[in-house]
Amino acid sequence: MTGTRAVYEKELATYFRSPIAYYVVAVFLLGTGYFFLYNVFLTGETTMAGTFQNMGILLITLVPVISMRLFSAEYSGGTAELLLTLPLQPWHIVLGKYLGAVTILLLLTLGTVVDLVPLYLFGTPETTTILAGYLGFVLLGMACLAIGELFSALTHNQVVAALLTAAVLLAFWFVGHLQTFQASRLLRAFVGYLSFSLHFTDFIQGLVRTEAVAFYLLVAAVALTLNASYLQWRR
Amino acid sequence: MTSASAVVELDSVSKRYGSRTIIHDVSFSVMKGEIVGFLGPNGAGKTTTMRMIAGFTAPTSGRVSVAGYDMATQNAEAARLIGYLPERPPLYDTLDVSAYLRFVAKVKGVRRAALAADLDRVITACHLEAVTRQEVFKLSKGYRQRLGLAQALLGQPQVLLLDEPTAGLDPGQIQETREVIRAFGEEHAVLLSTHILAEATLICRRVAIIDHGRLLAIDSPAGLQRAVAQTNRVVLEVTAPADDLRKELLAVKGVDAVAVHPVSGHPRLTVECQVDARDGVEAEIARVVSRRWDLHRLERQQPTLENIFLQYVAPTPGSANGR
Repeated sequence: MTGTRAVYEKELATYFRSPIAYYVVAVFLLGTGYFFLYNVFLTGETTMAGTFQNMGILLITLVPVISMRLFSAEYSGGTAELLLTLPLQPWHIVLGKYLGAVTILLLLTLGTVVDLVPLYLFGTPETTTILAGYLGFVLLGMACLAIGELFSALTHNQVVAALLTAAVLLAFWFVGHLQTFQASRLLRAFVGYLSFSLHFTDFIQGLVRTEAVAFYLLVAAVALTLNASYLQWRR
Repeated sequence: MTSASAVVELDSVSKRYGSRTIIHDVSFSVMKGEIVGFLGPNGAGKTTTMRMIAGFTAPTSGRVSVAGYDMATQNAEAARLIGYLPERPPLYDTLDVSAYLRFVAKVKGVRRAALAADLDRVITACHLEAVTRQEVFKLSKGYRQRLGLAQALLGQPQVLLLDEPTAGLDPGQIQETREVIRAFGEEHAVLLSTHILAEATLICRRVAIIDHGRLLAIDSPAGLQRAVAQTNRVVLEVTAPADDLRKELLAVKGVDAVAVHPVSGHPRLTVECQVDARDGVEAEIARVVSRRWDLHRLERQQPTLENIFLQYVAPTPGSANGR
């Protein structure tokens, strides 16, 4: 566990000693702030539902920026040769890096809590619904980051890692739309199950389904396991 | 085959990438208390071999073990005992020097209580005192190289794997770095690759010569010199008729063979004599030649490590299968 922790601390230090963390947090909070103002003040609804929906798609576009450097930068900077020869198991490395990225995600999430102040001052929002939305947001982010980390491990080039991640995340986000074109019930259910956005919508509406929680965690677990196996196989 | 004091052992190790074989059936070992130099031209397979010992890549066949641990199955245990400096120092540019060293020390399992002392030890050994608070990307090449060495020394490594540790250093820094390596090598094992042949003669107990992924020779520098002692040559430039000169030279005791090459556009000849290792052969040659002709130059060539190296890595397969 010491190894995982050392990798985690190194990752956080790297995020905050480079412009990435500041950039991501700033863009996300500016974007969320705008959507919040639009959704609440222009529509007059005191819910976070619309804002959460926008936060989801904003997250999909920002996750590749957070995750792209996780392994790609290690390969291109020559530090992979250190990291992979230190007394660390592949999963120590994968987990330490993942937790570093998840910390950035939690910071993003925490930053949006500011939006709740006017909501509670001027209205009576449903707290449990909001909490469910936040839970969904964090779970969605965790699944996306695990996918991003995996793609970062597959290439030396950060830009390629970001583009691949963005493509896959967008596919997961929009795959639910394919339901319209499916005649077979089974296929409809299947693409629906794969959809990041459909599961997320449940959370936004205050519905915490075990199936949805398990889905995001499963995606994250599969991606992280593949990542660690890839590092092992790469030797 | 495993002897008690062998810290690094390679047993019939080969590495293939697709259909290309990079390393062919290499076996050697590095003992406790010895520094082994790894010599070879660029692309010979030095870095790949180092990477296999460090556990960065796995051999396609054969076995690598470090301190008795099989790198294929117990690499995490072995990693604690290895200090590895790759060809390109593996540094995190955004961290500062002490944060970087602290990261490596923690991963190597240095306890919190011992951390400061261990950091001080390597910072002093590698002369990094002036830059501990600097960010790594601001460091000069020499400092980067020494920081790379410093991280390799952290913890309690039993073996150092150093891929060209003195590259990019100025002469003073080279001297200091060699001292660090020599001191470490007294009690532990060191495998260092280098282009600088003099370095290998100076600090290595044994030298391994590798080319095209094959281990051509491994012996002490003196042993290698003895092995090719017959390459003792005397080269002279003379103005003389070639046939007479050859006859006279072959009559000198200790001269085994004579090759005469005309110097184009000159009446002079360049002559190479293969001589035995005795002293005084060249004096006798000088006496015989200068009695009848004009001797312009005479030089006795000892087998330097350069010559030995070039002889081993020469493209003629017959001469390259030495030992």
